[in-house]
Amino acid sequence: MTMTRASDAAAEPAATAAPPPDSPPSPMVRTRTRTRSPRTWVRGGGLSTLVFLAPMLFVFGFFSWSPIVQSVIMSLQKTNLLDAPTWVGLDNFANVLADPLLGTAVLNTLYFAALALVFGFPLPIIMAVLMSEVRRGKGFYSALAYLPVVVPPVVAVLLWKVFFDASPTGLFNTILGWVGIPAQPWLQSPATAMPSLVLEATWAAAGGSIIIYLAALLSVPPELYDAAEVDGASIWRKIWHVTLPQLRGILFIMLILQVIGTAQVFLEPFLFTSGGPNNATVTILLLIYRKAFQNSLGGDYGEATALSVMLAIVLALLSWLYFKLTERWSTS
Amino acid sequence: MKSPRTVAIAGLAAVAMVGALAACTAGGGDDSGKTELRVATFPPGADEAAYTAFAEQEKQFEKENPDIDIIGVEYEWEGPTFAVQLAGGSLPDVFTVPFTDSKTLLENGQLMDVTDEIDELGYTDSFNPILLEEVTDSEGRMFGFPRQAYAMGLHYNRTLFEEAGLDPDNPPTTWDEIREAAKTISEKTGKAGFMEMTQNNTGGWQLAAATVARGGSIQEDNGDGTYTSTIANDGTKAALEFLQALRWEDDSLGSNMLLDWGTINQEFAAGNIGMYSSGSDVYTALVRDFSLNPDDYGLTVVPVEDGGGTLGGGDIAVVSPTVDEETKAAAVTWIDWYYMQKLLDEDAAVLDAKTLAESDQAVGTPVLPVLDRETYEESLTWIEPYINVPRDQMTPFIEGVWDQTPMGEPKGKTQEIYALLDTVVQAVLTDRNADIDALLEKADVDAQALLDQ
Amino acid sequence: MTTTPPPVFEGVDAPHAAEGIRGVIGRRRADRRTDAQGDRGIVSGHDRKKRGVRAGLGGVHGVLFVGLVVAGLGPLLWLAKSAVTPTQDTLRQPLALWPNGIDWANLPQAWNDVHIDQFFWNTIVIAAGSWAFQLVVATTAGYALSVLRPRYAPILNGAVLATLFIPAVVLLVPLYLTIVNPPLPGDVSLLNNYLAVWLPAAANAFNILLVKRFFDALPREVFEAARTDGAGPFRLFWSIVLPMSKPILGVVSVFAIIAAWKDFLWPMLVLPDPAVQPLSVRLPAVQQSIELDVFLAALAISTLIPVALFLVFQGVFLRSAGLGGAVKG
Repeated sequence: MTMTRASDAAAEPAATAAPPPDSPPSPMVRTRTRTRSPRTWVRGGGLSTLVFLAPMLFVFGFFSWSPIVQSVIMSLQKTNLLDAPTWVGLDNFANVLADPLLGTAVLNTLYFAALALVFGFPLPIIMAVLMSEVRRGKGFYSALAYLPVVVPPVVAVLLWKVFFDASPTGLFNTILGWVGIPAQPWLQSPATAMPSLVLEATWAAAGGSIIIYLAALLSVPPELYDAAEVDGASIWRKIWHVTLPQLRGILFIMLILQVIGTAQVFLEPFLFTSGGPNNATVTILLLIYRKAFQNSLGGDYGEATALSVMLAIVLALLSWLYFKLTERWSTS
Repeated sequence: MKSPRTVAIAGLAAVAMVGALAACTAGGGDDSGKTELRVATFPPGADEAAYTAFAEQEKQFEKENPDIDIIGVEYEWEGPTFAVQLAGGSLPDVFTVPFTDSKTLLENGQLMDVTDEIDELGYTDSFNPILLEEVTDSEGRMFGFPRQAYAMGLHYNRTLFEEAGLDPDNPPTTWDEIREAAKTISEKTGKAGFMEMTQNNTGGWQLAAATVARGGSIQEDNGDGTYTSTIANDGTKAALEFLQALRWEDDSLGSNMLLDWGTINQEFAAGNIGMYSSGSDVYTALVRDFSLNPDDYGLTVVPVEDGGGTLGGGDIAVVSPTVDEETKAAAVTWIDWYYMQKLLDEDAAVLDAKTLAESDQAVGTPVLPVLDRETYEESLTWIEPYINVPRDQMTPFIEGVWDQTPMGEPKGKTQEIYALLDTVVQAVLTDRNADIDALLEKADVDAQALLDQ
Repeated sequence: MTTTPPPVFEGVDAPHAAEGIRGVIGRRRADRRTDAQGDRGIVSGHDRKKRGVRAGLGGVHGVLFVGLVVAGLGPLLWLAKSAVTPTQDTLRQPLALWPNGIDWANLPQAWNDVHIDQFFWNTIVIAAGSWAFQLVVATTAGYALSVLRPRYAPILNGAVLATLFIPAVVLLVPLYLTIVNPPLPGDVSLLNNYLAVWLPAAANAFNILLVKRFFDALPREVFEAARTDGAGPFRLFWSIVLPMSKPILGVVSVFAIIAAWKDFLWPMLVLPDPAVQPLSVRLPAVQQSIELDVFLAALAISTLIPVALFLVFQGVFLRSAGLGGAVKG
């Protein structure tokens, strides 16, 4: 029994939970409520419905909906938590856009995203394709690949910080020394700091993607391979013309998710380098954090939310694109 | 969502939550009728002995003040957590703030006015006036007790000096000698000859100190609440050229360029650094929090050239602005007892030194006097039998510091400008081709923009 | 909500992010996998008989084995070794197979002096609370929206759904200020209170949609029968719906616990008091005040439990991870 089979079975509840679109389950309460006097409302279950909704209304009201609205309001205000906030129009946005660090942060974030795509995107696909073809040890390989994902991210970063020791006796530099490559500065140089962060981030996340691709590979209909073989296709041609096209939906989804994720990268630059050296790893989220929480005394909450709102708009557009594309693919 | 019932239910849930809160958070009032006072103790990671000493002092204080209940709270001044705690009101009732932040805090009204209390205790005229200025606002109100001050010192590892064939009793006295010593140490021992802080605003702090030591200044106080940035000055340039030479010509700075106050202490205590510059009082933390071997330790003054001085600093004991009158009175009593009396009163000084020494805490670490030099030197004779820091290894500092002029830290947007300078120092240390003039010009413009906000 | 963004492209651990929207609220491509089709992949049985292909597959085995052992297991084995190695050995010869001395004292020192035990306990409390709150909110809301269906259900549905499009980062500051100064009577602050982590975690739209969708597919006849027998909405919920939903509750639980275990930025902001902080927040803070060997021992201990849990419940973990893809696809 392979791991992927097991995951197949587990996917069942959520997967089959989808009702056919044209037969919505019949509502139970609606039939009773035509006239709505308070008494019939209560007797019709209106009150108990509210009791069930209360936890959700409470946590969403206070911790989701209201903060979302507040963030828009706060981005137009100046507040120091002590005095009443004052309206400042679009000043916060103007200040953020005038901040010389913003450009650096945006470029760094894009650089991180690009590097993460180059390193981190193809690797799990290749690994998953290879792993799906071995007949024995699939479970063992899956477990090994997933192991880094289980390591708490903070532990992973702190551990890799030791690996990145830039002295010649550092762990990675020792390994490089074996093959005759000179010691690298890793986190200690503006040129190598960001690639080092991406290296760790890729290590930490690849396992999760591999498992997802492995599950997706199972959904490629075998008859497509059979048909390709009838045409005399080689293994490479099968991968190129059957496997990858079949995976394009999940590939694109993972791509967008990765972009959304990398746009919010924080842990690595925060713990590895605090944005250094020479601002080489300052990312947008780190800038937001600095404005709100590190601005030595009393944060600039207005500017921090203004920047958050701008980032959120871009990310919401990406989410929407993702939504639309997946909808189209799934219906075609 | 709009229905009144929904609101009512949300309200009920809120009430339930308040109930849960009341159970979770300790209220200010106490059933025994005592005033609870939450006071700052040590940074996280301090060893058990420090807490033993504190518990002993807590007992002594509560015996003298039976109506006050002292609760020690782990506390450390640190850019990020400090701002968060301050905004969140989770600070202790009594805590300490470095001079660099005191001005901004008191101007923001984020500290309790303690003018009357300081007057009443009769300290107004005995404080070192330079330090008192740090806690006084433009209207002459005072917001804290200067409790500890330091001058910048050059800390060095005597063992590494010996290994490198240098004389640990004759540490370098000029920047050129520091450079030579650093080179020798890194060549002979393979350790970093010199190291420099660069992160979390400490890079800017050290650059400001190195500037002042070379007769420069990164900021001018116009006296009217405005400041002019003077980052592009010869002193700062010389300081950066010094670092550049050590890093790229001599390669004597080791391999880690991303250090702050804590991590550089850790490296030093672990025996990986020949020399570094930090506050003269850091010895206390080095043994308490970083397990330094006292035999390794040496301290001298930072060289002063071209009419410069030594950057001083320190912190003030302050009261949270949110406490009530009763707690405030208790807080002032505690500050006076815990921080001030040992500076003034022989019995208090002896008791303090004895308690600390019994728990193996550092006694006699060199500092700058908060009051005047005479009182300070007299107090040292009181506690003579309890002094347990190797003051003979600190002789070059103890004797040399009086010849140096203490200089204050820049006052306008201090931390923000330090943060700005962090990146300048990092650029010089991590980029072989860094253009110091261009970096300083840019930092100067950015700093002025901050000051003009 | 998970305020900490997912590290890179890790769908599974960030249920709040936009991923999975499609899978949950839209129609899903029919599951084409059936057992009858066997487990053939790209390489056919015919291919496998060719010598070149067989050698190639052997090579693949080799690459996978070496690569995965080095990358997946290597760092953890190194950590395990370094946890009991004196600092100077680790610094001078990080890759020496056998250290000069073994320092078992590192482990008890980390556990007791660094108080890993306490931070471990805090982590467990945080994860358990987040899990409980998420489960309560998700099941009650899912039940109300799917089974009870008030007339305003579509509006609420939309309001919940909309939050999926809002990245967590936009909530950071206002949510923090809500915690600092909650809209409650009196001068209370939720800082240093676990509710500050639990409650925002419960406002998770992804959970609600997951559960609601599962409830949607439960057979209505069972509910009608129960109602005819006189079961009220509470009985129906407790005795009929919940017992039928164990699979989806398991999935929500795994997501909730993993996310809570990993979260860093949010607990760091709202739990400034070290006494209540979880491991993830505490480890970076204690790093500078303890020696490297003890610190590595602390890291090793912090890794041990999740890794042990994973090895024991491997199936559940990997199934949930794969489900991340199934939900998405």
